[in-house]
Amino acid sequence: MEKDEFVIEVEHLTKRFGNFTAVDDITFDVRRGEIFGFLGANGAGKTTAMRMLTGLSFPTSGTGHVAGFDIRTQSELIKKHIGYMSQKFALYGDLTVNDNMELFAGIYGVPRNEVKTRIDMLLDRLSLSAEKNSPVKDLPQGWKQKIAFSVAIIHKPEIVFLDEPTGGVDPAARRQFWELIYEAVDEGITAFVTTHYMDEAEYCNRISMMVDGRIDALDSPASLKEKYGASSIAEVFDILARGAERSE
Amino acid sequence: MGAFGYLMIKEAKQFFGNPFMPMVLILLPLLLMLVVPLAANMEVRDVRVTVVDRDRSVLSAELTDRIFESGYFVPASYEDTYDAAMDELGRGNTDIIVEIPEGMERTVGRGGNAEIFIAANAVNSTKGSIGGGYLSSIVTSFSEGISGAGNSLPLKVVPQFKYNPHIEYKLFMVPALMIVVIVLVGGFFPTLSIVTEKEKGTIEQINVSPVRKRDFIFSKVVFYGILGIFAFTISFLIAHFVYGLASNGGLLEIYVSAMIFLVFMAGFGLIISNYSDTLLQSVFMMFFFVLVFMLMSGIFTPVSSMETWSQYVTYCLPTRYFVNILRAVCLKGSSFADLQFDFIMLSVFAAVINAVAVITYRKQS
Repeated sequence: MEKDEFVIEVEHLTKRFGNFTAVDDITFDVRRGEIFGFLGANGAGKTTAMRMLTGLSFPTSGTGHVAGFDIRTQSELIKKHIGYMSQKFALYGDLTVNDNMELFAGIYGVPRNEVKTRIDMLLDRLSLSAEKNSPVKDLPQGWKQKIAFSVAIIHKPEIVFLDEPTGGVDPAARRQFWELIYEAVDEGITAFVTTHYMDEAEYCNRISMMVDGRIDALDSPASLKEKYGASSIAEVFDILARGAERSE
Repeated sequence: MGAFGYLMIKEAKQFFGNPFMPMVLILLPLLLMLVVPLAANMEVRDVRVTVVDRDRSVLSAELTDRIFESGYFVPASYEDTYDAAMDELGRGNTDIIVEIPEGMERTVGRGGNAEIFIAANAVNSTKGSIGGGYLSSIVTSFSEGISGAGNSLPLKVVPQFKYNPHIEYKLFMVPALMIVVIVLVGGFFPTLSIVTEKEKGTIEQINVSPVRKRDFIFSKVVFYGILGIFAFTISFLIAHFVYGLASNGGLLEIYVSAMIFLVFMAGFGLIISNYSDTLLQSVFMMFFFVLVFMLMSGIFTPVSSMETWSQYVTYCLPTRYFVNILRAVCLKGSSFADLQFDFIMLSVFAAVINAVAVITYRKQS
């Protein structure tokens, strides 16, 4: 069966909390195998939009398909085909690295005889094989995030959603983290990344810029810079964000 | 092995990986069952009794002897008139007055009924009322002694401790404490564990995975249910071997009711965790309801001595049925057939509360 070109298709997606419209009528799509950057200031609605795509939150209106499944009616099917790494570190701190990996491999249905080799391969890639039996809570933040990413792709999902994956770590660690994302994309995983670090946007194939719940721009980083006559994505963002009403 | 199996392994690793929790699981029933009954004991001894013997017969002397032989009472004084005894009571020299009516022996001899009058000083309500209760049951057994089994009793008092022949308050307390063990292990443990996952954000990682919500919930209910049965077993063994309860058998009745109640508590805890975002919030909510469950259902105080309206309230509390079952089985040796109503009601509570728990748990907001 021919795989669709788009792994995420969203039309007029809206989420309201009372009178507050967190996500305001957004339409976009994500191509298979790309790194899609979902940019915006804090409070622009990135996380809310991502929560709707990952089946954690129910849209107020609009439609969306992720991995070919409807986000309204088939959220449980979507969950089998995606990986998710939350901005809040969400592995079990009191369990070891290996226990966490075994748990998530198990609940995503990774065949039992493959679990061990996959864990060893992932840890080897992170150069963290020595920490296999350390409790996760004892590890430094940068390592935890790498492990959380490995857990998110342990079942080889079609799409991995990364919600501000590099928050609170130093530039070198962020650089290393993006190398992990590239490696995952090389294996055929589509990456959907939210961030408010504008320099990271340059690593993406395409980016969208969210302001006040709307997507104000969507294109490749190079085209966006050209269109707005800016030298960096940060400048593009400044131009767009000038009109923003919401701030922290 | 499905997701459920992996989640159970995870719960076990988390629980036993923590050096503190397994210790709590063992010490909690041990201390609760061994120490609390000694301290939280409403038994009274050395109650001072004034006897107003207006009959002055052989029978009245026997009755008086019987009262003081029991060990619970000491003679304060012997008065000729009730008024003189009341003066003693008023001065605080005595706790209870027993008045034996004139002509008791003759009345009883003719086959009639005589009324023994008991007046208790209720300033110290425990001493007065419990002492009064003890006295009543002594008079009753004395009365049975003179009439012979099966005949109507010639001396009238209301018996209160019919199935606790040694009149020990401990036997009343121990089944209540067994319930407390289940409430704490089966109710608090899973609730705190779920709310901790909410606080740490790990529940989101689960919610975004294909784990079915019933697998996640059942992994908590089943795991902490097993721990609950373990802790309950410790407390049951203590109840049996230390306090001599359930000597008439009834193991099956006790365990079936304990399991139904565990399922109720787990479901109840889940509802609390569905509606709380922080540990603090869930602990306060749990405490509020648990106190109501314990203090208003007749676990620690007899339902019959409650206000009428609150007696009706007890029908809305599952602990009422569970404690009924435990007491009836432990003290009377009752079986399923005698306790159908209680078992049905307990099961209804467990089923309804768990249905609500599953409905109110949402993976998607």
